[in-house]
Order: sequence, then C-alpha cells, then structure tokens
Amino acid sequence: MSRNYEAVYIFDSTLEDAAINDKITRFHGLLGASEQPEVNHWGRRQLAYQIGTKENGYYVISRFAAEPVALPEYERALRLDDGLIRYLITVHEHEVGAPAMSEEEIAAAAARRDDDDDDED
Amino acid sequence: MRRPQKSCPFCEGRVRWIDYKDDRTLGRFITDQGKILPSRLSGTCARHQRQLSTAIKRARYLALIPYLRGHTA
Repeated sequence: MSRNYEAVYIFDSTLEDAAINDKITRFHGLLGASEQPEVNHWGRRQLAYQIGTKENGYYVISRFAAEPVALPEYERALRLDDGLIRYLITVHEHEVGAPAMSEEEIAAAAARRDDDDDDED
Repeated sequence: MRRPQKSCPFCEGRVRWIDYKDDRTLGRFITDQGKILPSRLSGTCARHQRQLSTAIKRARYLALIPYLRGHTA
C-alpha cells in the first residue's frame, strides 16, 4: 500500500537552479512512483541559524505517494548528496488524525468555559 | 482562585492540522528566546499544543525558526 509523504529539502544556495532540478528528478526517480510528485520551490532564503558554514539555503517542498519499501534507498541517496544541507521526510496523511470539532462541540466547550467563569465571581 | 480559561486560537480558527512550514504562525507561539510558549500562557488546547510542539521542533530542524535566539556560535 502506498502512503503519502511530504519531503522538505534544503539545498546549498550556491548551486545552479538546473543542478537542483536534476537532483530532485534523480531523487524522485528512486521512489518508483506512478504519479509525478508535486514540487514546490520556495527558493533561496536565510537559515534561522548557521548550519556548518552556510547561512542561506534553497528550500524545496515535494509531496508524493510511494511504497514504504522504496524509502530507504531514496533516503540513502539524500544522505549521500553533498549539495543537500538538510532534508525532512514526513508522512502527510492528516485525515488520520482526530476529526475537527463540530459546531456543537465548540458551542459546548464555550458554554463550559462561561460556566467556569461564573463560578469565579 | 482559578485562572479564567483562555480559548484556543487554533480551535477558533478551525485549524485541523498545524503546518510546520508556517514559520509566521509558529513564531507567535515561541518566546523571545525561542522556547515553546506554554499553553497556560497561549490558551492552546491540549490537542493543538501537542501538534504545535511537534511543528515547532520540525521547523527548528529545518532552520525556519531558531533553537535559541541571539546565540552566536
């Protein structure tokens, strides 16, 4: 069963855009996904703190569906890549979490709060 | 004396999942130093506070927000 993942890559900001695109294509080729991953380029931005000697990074977000067995090979490629400062892969399946509160629940919670406030007077 | 209950800013905004990439929102829930703001001060409900702490830790790893502000290595 394939799962949905979200990966954030931080590339060395001195890399050419074409080189970054090549790397992303190579990484995604390892996943063996049937669908094309959704890639969102944030571009160059300052890091909140220095990583090694680097102060800037090129951020790329990608979302893809892949088989879990394909991930170790993909992650190994990410680790070995010198142009990649940092990466984070997360499972992107938010519907798994608890459902949002309904209108009634929010109203009930508000009512409970109001009751509590009354007690204090 | 009990503290008046604050309302959760995420529940009010009907937020279902807190995005770790949204550094502007996360920035409102950290102290000047960079620590995670306790729910006692922010009014965040338990469910959202758990999501928030995970999101802040991920954002820190991705250098979107600092681990410690004003620190120079």
